[in-house]
Amino acid sequence: MVTRSCLSLLLLLAAGCASTPERASSSGLAAPGFKPRALRAGETGVALQCSKIFAMDEHDHIFAPGTVLVRNGKIEYVGPRRAAPAGYEVHAFEQGWALPGMVDLHSHVQGTFDINDMVLPINAELRASPAYVPGNTSLDRARAAGVTTLLGIPGSGTSISGFGVLHKTKDTPLYDTAVIADPGAMKVAQSYNPERSADFGSTRAGLGWLLREANERAIAANEAGVVDPRLENLQKVHARELPVLIHCAGSDGVGKAVNMWKGEYDTRCVVSHGCFDAFKIAPYVVRMQVPMNHGPRTIDFRVSREGRFVGTAGEYLEAGARDFSLNTDAPVVPQEELFLQGTVSARYGADSYSMLRGLTIHPARSIGLGDRLGSLEPGKDADIGVFNGDPIDPRTRCELVLIDGVVEYSRTRDGQLF
Amino acid sequence: MLLTTLLLSIPTPADPPLPSLYALRVGRAETIAHGTIEHAVVLIEAGKIVTVGQDLEVERGIPVIELPGATLLPGLVDCYSRLGLDSDGSSGFEPQAKASVELYPDQKIWAEILELGVTTLGLYPAGSGIPGQGFVVKPHGATREEMLLRDPSYLLVHMRSDPGSKKFLRDGLEKADDYDEKEKKNVEKWDKDQEKKGAKKDDKKEEKKEEAKSFDPSPPQDKAKKERKGYVPSEPDEKAKPFVELRQDKLRALCTLSKAADYLHLLDVLREETFEFDLRVFLRDDVDFHHVMDKFGEKKLRIAMDPRITLQPNTRRERSYAMELAAAGGKPVFVPRTDSINGLKDWLRHVGEVVGAGLDRQVALRAVTLEPAQLLGLGDRLGSLEPGKDANFVLYDGDPLEVSTRILAVILEGELVHGEIDQ
Amino acid sequence: MKPARATGRPMNSLLLLGAALLGSVMPSLVAQETSGSKSSDAKTADAKKDEAKKADPEPKWFAVVGGDVHTGTGGLLRGATVLAKDGVIESVGYSTDLPEGTEVLSARGLQVYPGLVAISASLAVSQGSRFLAEDDLHMRCCVDFGKNGHLHEGPLDAELDLLLADQAGLVDAQSDLRDAYDPFSSSLLMTLAVGITSAEQSGGALKLKRGEIDGVVMRERFLSSFTWTSASSGKTQLREKFAAAARYLREKREWDVRKDKVKDLPEPSKKGIEQKILSVLDGSARAKFNANDRDDLLGIARLAQEFGFRPVIEGCVEGWIVAEELGRAGAYAIVYPRQRRDKDENLVRAGGSSIENAAILHAHGVQVAIGPASNGIDLGGITGRDLLHLTVDADFAVRGGMTDAAALAGITTVPARILGIDHRVGTLEKGKDCDVIVTDGDVLHYETLVQYTVVAGKIAYDKQKELLFAHIRPRTPGDGKTSNSSGDSAPASAESQPPQR
Repeated sequence: MVTRSCLSLLLLLAAGCASTPERASSSGLAAPGFKPRALRAGETGVALQCSKIFAMDEHDHIFAPGTVLVRNGKIEYVGPRRAAPAGYEVHAFEQGWALPGMVDLHSHVQGTFDINDMVLPINAELRASPAYVPGNTSLDRARAAGVTTLLGIPGSGTSISGFGVLHKTKDTPLYDTAVIADPGAMKVAQSYNPERSADFGSTRAGLGWLLREANERAIAANEAGVVDPRLENLQKVHARELPVLIHCAGSDGVGKAVNMWKGEYDTRCVVSHGCFDAFKIAPYVVRMQVPMNHGPRTIDFRVSREGRFVGTAGEYLEAGARDFSLNTDAPVVPQEELFLQGTVSARYGADSYSMLRGLTIHPARSIGLGDRLGSLEPGKDADIGVFNGDPIDPRTRCELVLIDGVVEYSRTRDGQLF
Repeated sequence: MLLTTLLLSIPTPADPPLPSLYALRVGRAETIAHGTIEHAVVLIEAGKIVTVGQDLEVERGIPVIELPGATLLPGLVDCYSRLGLDSDGSSGFEPQAKASVELYPDQKIWAEILELGVTTLGLYPAGSGIPGQGFVVKPHGATREEMLLRDPSYLLVHMRSDPGSKKFLRDGLEKADDYDEKEKKNVEKWDKDQEKKGAKKDDKKEEKKEEAKSFDPSPPQDKAKKERKGYVPSEPDEKAKPFVELRQDKLRALCTLSKAADYLHLLDVLREETFEFDLRVFLRDDVDFHHVMDKFGEKKLRIAMDPRITLQPNTRRERSYAMELAAAGGKPVFVPRTDSINGLKDWLRHVGEVVGAGLDRQVALRAVTLEPAQLLGLGDRLGSLEPGKDANFVLYDGDPLEVSTRILAVILEGELVHGEIDQ
Repeated sequence: MKPARATGRPMNSLLLLGAALLGSVMPSLVAQETSGSKSSDAKTADAKKDEAKKADPEPKWFAVVGGDVHTGTGGLLRGATVLAKDGVIESVGYSTDLPEGTEVLSARGLQVYPGLVAISASLAVSQGSRFLAEDDLHMRCCVDFGKNGHLHEGPLDAELDLLLADQAGLVDAQSDLRDAYDPFSSSLLMTLAVGITSAEQSGGALKLKRGEIDGVVMRERFLSSFTWTSASSGKTQLREKFAAAARYLREKREWDVRKDKVKDLPEPSKKGIEQKILSVLDGSARAKFNANDRDDLLGIARLAQEFGFRPVIEGCVEGWIVAEELGRAGAYAIVYPRQRRDKDENLVRAGGSSIENAAILHAHGVQVAIGPASNGIDLGGITGRDLLHLTVDADFAVRGGMTDAAALAGITTVPARILGIDHRVGTLEKGKDCDVIVTDGDVLHYETLVQYTVVAGKIAYDKQKELLFAHIRPRTPGDGKTSNSSGDSAPASAESQPPQR
């Protein structure tokens, strides 16, 4: 009874948010006592004059028209139109909608795709970062679509396939300048894909045992206060220092993953995929407060077999999912088409504003970067996409992309990459 | 007289044999033709049913077998089977092929079939396209002749929504057209020859000409034959013959369909043809026959199908096509889900499931007896408890559609062929 | 947030809405068409009544009434009526005088468009997704799914549901598409549910009728596939074949003229002449090439110009680089706007794919048809990139700079032209087939769903009556309904329901 009323309260909240997103605020967002001032030597400043700004903050501020001021790579002001201080590089758009840079937590296009060492089922010591090739074309196109942050992770061919890297899609030849965190998050695959022809661990039973065994060892090491060099990062997961992203799909797989990583181990876990008929246990995922990173499948027809196209994103939202984000599993869906996951989800019944959240603030928050990315608020990284209309309408073009306050893509300057 | 139930599972024929004239008094009889009769008495003479009725008085001296706990059903008729046949059969366009060449009496399987209450078996030719003609046997007898009830039974036409199978049927009908055309000319020629022989007067000749013009190849040629004494129609080409016979109502067609569209394509080929046909539809989940159910009903079609509830395409919604067909005015016929001894064992249980899901019980019983007999062209001889029909019975110890019910005895043409009855 | 939707919003100016939705509408044109059709409608309506009396059997009248009609010829008629007789459009305009017994579909508050034409459609259903990247080598780690087959990409044989039966075992190569048509297939229903009413099949065109097989083939084998090889020998050979065919046609024409005058003039020999090429040169078929490289595209353009035919080029990925040449050659392009190809870094010149391809080709006079990202229906869950999302691909063409109107033409009139069925479909005009879709908004907007699909004057799909999409933004009563059907307010029911048990 208690849970039910909690749920309905959540639902109410969610509904409230969805129905009143277009609230314009008269005063802008800025640090207390903020006053625009001219640039000093060695400083950088960018001003975006837009027809509409989605702050994606917790109050769902929308400024139409509005201005974003960026100083030294960080946002200092978001709000109603105001003049740029002296020295700022100004980008003005007659038809320009600003959105926080999009974040994809499930990406495999960082480079050489040597991301799944499929010999042993448990590889808690591997990392995806050695496979990273800065400046590859997938990242170029992703940037040109307003996707600014990715979690590049190992594949799902093994149960613990290693640690992913959180990075920005900057146009840089240097890996170090793009990386936010390495390791960024652990990747676990449960159900379906990792069940393959290993000697041991080719079934869910075997994999379950292996996984549990590794986890128990890591926990024991933590308790003993020692560092096991083979489980160092896994120990960090259990110490809640690193998040874990779990590949799982179907109501069976998702149920077990949530149960293990949240119920049993209480890690900072994010469920990734949640496809097929997993939406049917959405209320459980919500109750366990596990963020859902949904995709690349966003509809279900075949598994639920109800004769209807079930827009699964809408189902999660309806169940009250809070940190609900979308992924591409790129290149399964091309990295630059991250927004399209929101488009089709909206087509199949989800609220379109919630889809904007699922592309920006929700994934950022899910992976522990909510204080730095995902919304346009003072002090946050100036990762911003400007579009010539609704960002999830495929007809809309991306005009300008800032990453850390630098123009990393400009349609007029670089040509339309996507 | 008492029934012994202890040795029922032993599949040996009873000894001594039943007399030529005797009466069966049972707790209940499903007559199929006239519903259920409680306390029924069936009088049998020389392998045929003489009379059926409730609490009939039996003449003194006629032996009466008393089975107060038994339910009597006409012998089951499976109209679409390959049991006991083993060849790969023909495929493509082989309408002349006869499946009966495959019949081999000396097999254990016939007894197994009979023990399961199936007294009539319609066997079909193997293969795809138009693979040939089926035949009917009773699963009992030492020789082919003893076993054969009817040959051929039906011309089998596998109709699919593809140009290949449509072409086969079109080709067959075109061959029949060619033959009819040829016959028409032959008749004209014959008439002229007769005329030349000078035996006719002028006015008679006119009449003949008129007749020749209006000669229609479709109706039976008997009329033409009668009026043209001495005229012998030419023998059609072996591949044309079955189609000519279809039009002459000497042969029926059984067309198999796997989805609704196949039926439209069948009609598309048949167009103006008026010959009769029955259908065999294969039921699995996601079949879509509901789209043409009205069309089936309109023609009051007899359709052989699996006794099962299927799921509507892409959903978990259940459909009972047998029920829908009956409601639309058609006649369902049940065929075991799998063509095997195990399939026969489960047959009535599966029929029971469909009844449990709402199908009228009488329709269901008819669908395993009289309707398949009709489909095989033996409706006047088999499939119901009516005077004059073969005395083929299955005796059950309860409701035949109940899982726990067992067969007490099987009687074929008045003879006890399975089970034991204490006379 | 419905920024780009212009529907249902009262607009006081018809012209404004026209401009907003179609971009390139000339205001005067709309006005003219409007008044023009009014008067002609009145006439035809009277004439029709007389005809109706005479005609036997009774003609079947059908009308879509009250919607904003996007004719596809540049006009937008607000609150207009499309009237059809026996499946053929009789008038488009403001006739209020409907013949007696007309079946009326109310589209009040809704948008009315011509049915979409899907080129390169297989209409097959699969359970997996086709990936778009040309170089898919790197896919290996990502699509390597479980051995137990739960997640196989690609079609699962057992579940394959084809509109057309597998033609592998065809006995007769000349067989009719009609003989394989399944008018009840669920893939057909899904295709209709997204507004596609005509589809290419084996180089011909099918009218996607539901429940019947008569009249489903509009044209057969009109598109004739040619292989363009990059190897110079192959190119030379093809050119020689075209030259020989052209020479033959010339000689034949000459012979036709002179044969009566000159005795025993030998008829030119057809030996070694490819019938396929003759058909292209005499206009009874259209040559279709599949080519993407700039050099190949140029080669095809030259061949076409030399022999005077208009080529259809599928793919055309680097077309934007040679758009001018393709435009001059009168080429048709079938473009997949999301097709990606990285530039060869060894080349100095431009290369690779461009999102602007469709727009640039269009700007240079190339007739651009837009193809679906994958030609079948994908029920695997990765959505937005199959036949059911043809409009999404049109959207991507707009992203690259095309106008909405040109992109819409790319999935209606242009493919109709390519398939040689533009005299019947692609626009809403008198004399064309009444293939109409009724939507709840701008057909190119992602939240717009087709409410009704009409094929040849019959309602083939009604969103609220089929399970597929009925639950998504259900139509409110009064949003449009058929006047002589009462089932509109009833909850969604799939097809015909099984009897109650």
